[in-house]
Amino acid sequence: MDTVETQRPALLRTTDELEAPPLSLTSLAWKRFRRHKMALFGSAMLIFLFLYSFGGMAFFSEAYANHNDLSILLRPPSAEHPFGTDQIGRDILARTIYGGQISLLIGITAMLVETVIGILVGAIAGYFGGLLDSILMRFTEALLTVPQILLLLVIAKFFTDPSRRIPDLNLLGRTLSGSVVIIVVIIGLTSWMYLARIVRAQFLSLKEQEFVLAARATGTPRWQIIFRHILPNCIAPITVSATLAVGNAILTEAYISFLGLGVQEPTATWGSMLQRAMAFHIMENAPWMWFFPSLFILLTVLSINFVGDGLRDALDPRSRAV
Amino acid sequence: MEVTRLYSLLVVFLLAAVLGACVPPPAAPTQVPPTAVPPTATPVPTPKKVIFIWTQEFDTLNPLYTNMWFASITFQIWNCWAWDFDDGLNPHPVLVKEMPSEENGGISADGKTITLKLREDIVWSDGTPITSEDFIFTHKMVLDPKNAVATTYPHDLFEVEAPDARTVVMKFQEPFAAWQGTLWHGLLPKHILEPVYQRDDTLDNAEWNRNPTVGCGPFTFAEWKSANYARFVANEKYWLGRPKIDEITIRFVPDDASQIAALKAGEGDLGTFIAYTDIPDLQKANVRMVTAFSGYNEGIYFYLHPEKGHPALQDVRVRQAIALATDRASLVQDLLLGLTKPASTDYDNTPWVDPTIQPWPYDPERAKALLDEAGWKDTDGDGVRDKDGVKLELDYGTTTREVRRSTQAVFQQQLAAVGIKVNLLNYEPDLYFAGFGQGGPCATGQLDMFEYSTVAAGFPDPDTSEWYCDQVPSEETPEGSNWQAVCDPELESLLKLQTTQVDFKERQQTWWKITRMIYDKVYWLGLWQDPDIWAVGPRLKNVRLSGATPFFNILEWDVE
Amino acid sequence: MGRYIIRRLLQAVPQLFIISIIIFALLYTTVDPIAAMTGDRGKPRPETRKRLERKYGLDQPWFVQYIYWLVGNDWLMLDLDFDGIPETPGPRKGILRGDFGLSVRGPRPALEPIGEALPNTLLLMGTAEAAILGLALLIGVYSALRQYSIFDHFVTAFSFIGYSMPIFFIALFSLYIFSVLLRLLPSPARPLRTTEDFALALILPALSISFSSLAGYSRYVRSAMLEVLNQDYIRTARSKGLPRPMITFVHALKNASLPLVTLVGLDLPMLLGGAVVTETIFAWPGMGQLFIRSLGEDPAVVMAILMLIAVAVVIFQLLTDLTYAWLDPRIRYR
Repeated sequence: MDTVETQRPALLRTTDELEAPPLSLTSLAWKRFRRHKMALFGSAMLIFLFLYSFGGMAFFSEAYANHNDLSILLRPPSAEHPFGTDQIGRDILARTIYGGQISLLIGITAMLVETVIGILVGAIAGYFGGLLDSILMRFTEALLTVPQILLLLVIAKFFTDPSRRIPDLNLLGRTLSGSVVIIVVIIGLTSWMYLARIVRAQFLSLKEQEFVLAARATGTPRWQIIFRHILPNCIAPITVSATLAVGNAILTEAYISFLGLGVQEPTATWGSMLQRAMAFHIMENAPWMWFFPSLFILLTVLSINFVGDGLRDALDPRSRAV
Repeated sequence: MEVTRLYSLLVVFLLAAVLGACVPPPAAPTQVPPTAVPPTATPVPTPKKVIFIWTQEFDTLNPLYTNMWFASITFQIWNCWAWDFDDGLNPHPVLVKEMPSEENGGISADGKTITLKLREDIVWSDGTPITSEDFIFTHKMVLDPKNAVATTYPHDLFEVEAPDARTVVMKFQEPFAAWQGTLWHGLLPKHILEPVYQRDDTLDNAEWNRNPTVGCGPFTFAEWKSANYARFVANEKYWLGRPKIDEITIRFVPDDASQIAALKAGEGDLGTFIAYTDIPDLQKANVRMVTAFSGYNEGIYFYLHPEKGHPALQDVRVRQAIALATDRASLVQDLLLGLTKPASTDYDNTPWVDPTIQPWPYDPERAKALLDEAGWKDTDGDGVRDKDGVKLELDYGTTTREVRRSTQAVFQQQLAAVGIKVNLLNYEPDLYFAGFGQGGPCATGQLDMFEYSTVAAGFPDPDTSEWYCDQVPSEETPEGSNWQAVCDPELESLLKLQTTQVDFKERQQTWWKITRMIYDKVYWLGLWQDPDIWAVGPRLKNVRLSGATPFFNILEWDVE
Repeated sequence: MGRYIIRRLLQAVPQLFIISIIIFALLYTTVDPIAAMTGDRGKPRPETRKRLERKYGLDQPWFVQYIYWLVGNDWLMLDLDFDGIPETPGPRKGILRGDFGLSVRGPRPALEPIGEALPNTLLLMGTAEAAILGLALLIGVYSALRQYSIFDHFVTAFSFIGYSMPIFFIALFSLYIFSVLLRLLPSPARPLRTTEDFALALILPALSISFSSLAGYSRYVRSAMLEVLNQDYIRTARSKGLPRPMITFVHALKNASLPLVTLVGLDLPMLLGGAVVTETIFAWPGMGQLFIRSLGEDPAVVMAILMLIAVAVVIFQLLTDLTYAWLDPRIRYR
C-alpha cells in the first residue's frame, strides 16, 4: 500500500478539487498564508535547514565530512564533535550538513522531474484531447494500477543492475555518486501520475474559457497558449503538489536506502545515515547516530507538509477556514 | 441523501475489518506435534521445544539442488551425511561403520578406490532400511542431466558400485585426496523418489523437495510454512540415539536488527550471522556466543585479466603496495572489537598454511616506495598516481553489509593517502554474486577489487578449482569460478598436483607452496578471519558447534 | 447502468496491457530465474541451463516471452533434447487462461506462494486500515469541532510526526521499546502457529503502519468537516436549535464522509501489496515480504502479484463509483 509506506497520495489528492484563483489574488493568498501559524513556522524552518545544509559548507569541508578515524569511533557529542561520531569515527555534524545537501537536492530534483513530466503529460492530454488524450491517460492510469512503492522497487532493480551503472558526476565542485541520479529518476518516474491528472482536469475546464478562445482566434501559437495562457492558471494545485513532492521524495530516498538501493558511500544522505544507524547496538548505545539524522528528516518533511497545508488554505478560494 | 445508507455501509465495512482481524488465518492450526512422549503411567514431561532463528529462508530442502548455507546446515538436522565433523573438525562415522583408511582396506593402495562399509542399523525415518541402493540412486540423480542440480562435483569424478546392500565402492580415475570433505553430503531416499523420477523423468518438481517427510537425521521434517517457520520433530528411529530435544522450529527473520532484538528479548534459542558489534550487548543479555571455525575468511580479490584488467594491478608491486597501505590490524581491533584476527591466507588456522606466513604489515611509506618503483607517480599533481596516461583509479565493490561498507570507507581513505583513488560500489547479494552469464559485477570483471568471504566447498578439505585457467569465465564457459581471472600456470599445476596427493604430508608440502605463492603475489588479500558466530540462548545446554557440520552433537543438546 | 459497467471494464483492458508490458520488460531484462532454480550460487551444467532456458522460453527475446506469458506456448513444439527436431509441447497456458507461470522456488505455480501470503497480508492491512479509519474519524471530527484547541494542535503534531518519519525507523523503534525494553509483546522470533501467535504478532506492525499513515486520513476528515461545518445548512440547523451531536454526526459527518469513501475505495486494493519494509522487520509472512524476496529471482511471482493488484484496482474503482452513486442520489451514471 503506497500510502502506508511512502505516505503519498492522501494529502496530495485533496488538491484534486482545487480550483485556481485568478492571479490577482496573490496578495490575498499571502495574507491567508501569514495567518497559518504552522505554515509560517514551516517556512522559517525550511529556510533554516537550507542555510544549515548549504551554509555549513563554509565551516566544514567535504573531505572533513568523509574523513574517518577508527580511534574515535562512536564517540558521544563533545566540544570537538558536537553531534558525536559514527561507527568509523566520522563527524556527524559535518555529515548531516553534506548529507542534508544531497537529501534536499534529491527532494528538489525529483520534484522537478515529477512536476515537469506531470505538467507535460497533463497539459498535452488536456489541451489536445481526443486520441492523444486517451493514449496518455490510459498510460497514466496504467501506472496508477500498481502500488507506487512496488513499481518503484521494480524500476530500482532494473537501474541498479550492474550492467547499467551510471558514472559519477561533478556538480559545483562536488563529486556525486551516479546512484544519486538513479534515485532521482526513479522517484520522479513513479510519482508524476496524480499531478498529470490534476493538470489535465484543469486544462479541460480552462481551454473552453473565453480568454483561451480569444488567444486562439488571434493566432497565438499553441505552445504559447498552453504555457503562457492556461498553465499560469493551474499554478495553485501545482505549487501545493510540488511542495509535498519534495517531502515525499526525501522519505522515499530513506525508504529505498533501507532496502539496500540507496546512495553509494561515502556520499551520505539523512536517509542513508539513519539507515546505517539501525543496528541494535547503535540504537541502544549510540543514540546520537540516529537522533540527528531522524531529527533533520522529521523537521524537513514536517515543515514541508505545514507549508503545503498553508499553501492549500491560502490558494483555495473556497477555503474560509482560516 | 440517505443517512442510513451511509451508516450501514460504514458499519458493514468496520464489521468486515474487525471480523477479518478476528478470523484466524488458515495457516494457523493449533495442533500438537506428533508427540515424542511414550504413553506411560508416569507424569508426562512437557515436550522440550526450541526455536532457531535463520535470517534467510532455505530455497529448497533437496540437498542436491542448493548451495545455500542456511539450507545446507539445515540438512544436518533432518538429512544425513556419511560422516560428520566435530568442533575439532575430526570426522565421525554416521552411516558408515568406520572411516575408510588404508589400514582397514577402505582406501586402496593406489588411492583410486574407496570402499564404504555401511552400518547394519541405519534406517529412514519411515523405518525403511538405508542401503547401498540409496547411495547409487543419489549418485545417479546428481549426474543425470535432466536434474537441474546445483553442482555435480565431486560425483563427476567417480563411478559407484554396490556389491551388496551394506557396501558402497567408489572408483576414481585419479587418486582423490579431497574425498573426506566432499563426499556424500546428504542422501536421497530411493524408495520415495525413484517412482517420482520414473513418473516425471526428473526430480526438479518432486513434492519431496519442499516436503521431505522421509529423512535420515536426528530429527524428522514436520512442516514448512513459507516465510514463517519450518518444524522438525525428534526421530524415534535414529540409530545413534534419540535427541533430548523433542522439537526444533526454525523461524525465518529476514532483518538482522530484528534478529538481534529477538535474541535480546530472550526469545529464540539459537541464531547465527551475528555482527561483531552486536556481541557485547548480547552477552549482557545472557546470550552465549560460540565461535565455530568454519574456514571462512574475508578478503579482496584483484581482477587480473591480462586484457580487461586494470594495467596497474598486473604489477605485483602495486598489489603489494595495496596490502601495505591498508591497516587491517586496526580495522580488526576497532571495527570488529578485536574479536577476530587479520587473515593472511584463505586457509588460516588449517594445517595447509605455510607456518612462516604473517599478515601483511601496515607500512604506507613502503607502499609509496613500491608504487614509485613500479613507475606509478603523481605527474599531474592531482593526488592520484598515474603512468602512461592511465590513472591509478580502481573500482572496489562488495555487498551492502554494514561492516563491509565501513571497511570500504576506511580503505578508501588509506589508499588515497598513498595516491590510489578508489571508487566504492555496493550491491545486493543476489546481484553481486551473479555469474558471468547474468552479468554479475565480479564475474564479468566490472570491478578491479571485490571483497567477500570464502571457504573451499569441501571444507575442511582445501581443494578448490577457482584458480584454474579454464575456470576464467567467458562466453564459452560462463559458469567458470575463476572470477579474478588469475591464470598462473605454476599455481595451477601445484593445485592439480595436490588433488591427487593422498598422503597427508606430501599434500601439506604442496599446499604450503600454494599458500605462500598466493600470499607473496597478493592474488588474494586477506582482511579478517570470519568464523561462524552463533548466539546460544540461556536455556540451551550442552551446545557445541562445528564449522563444517554445525549440529554434530545435537543429540546431546538439552533445555532447562 | 449495465452498459456503464461494461464500458468501464473495456476501458480498463488497455490499462492492464500497458502496465503488464512495462513491468514485464523491466523484469525480464534484469532478473535471471535460472540462477535461483539451480541453487543459490549454484554452478549448473551449461546444458542444464540451456535446457531450462528453452523449456521456460528464456532463450527468447523479452517480447516473445511476453506473448508466451500472455497466451502460453502450448501451441508450440520445443526441442528440449537439442536434436534439431521439436518434440515437446510448450508447458505454459498463459495468463489469459489462468496460468500465471511457475515460481522458481519449488518450482510450483506462482499463485501458490501468493495464496499462502495473501490471507496474512489481508489480516495485517485490514487491521491497520480499520484502525486508521476509526482513529482518523475520531481525531478528524474532534479536531474540526475544537479547531486550534490544545487537543487539535497536539493531535495534529503527533500524527504529522508519524507521517514525517521513515517507516523502518518507526517499526524498529516500536520493536525495541515493546519487545526488548518492556517485553510486553513477543519478538519476531516467535513462530506464527496459533491464532494467539498471529494476534499478538499483529499488534506492532499494525500500529507502525497506522501511526505512519494516520495523518493523511485524519487531516482529510478534519478539512472536510471544517468545510461542511461552515456551510449554510449547518448554520441553519444550529440556529434552529438542533442538538449538537445530531448536527455533528448526522448532518456534518455524513457529508464530510462522502469523499472519504472514494479515498478508501481507491486505497483498499493497494493493500494487497502488503507492506514491504514493515513485514520484513516483523518477519510477517505476507505479500510485501514475498514481493521483495521474489524481485531478484522470481519474475513470475512478481508479475502475478502486480497483475492481481492491478485487476483489483480496476474493480474497486468501479465499485467505488457505484457506491458513490448509491450514496449520493444526485449522481447517475449512464
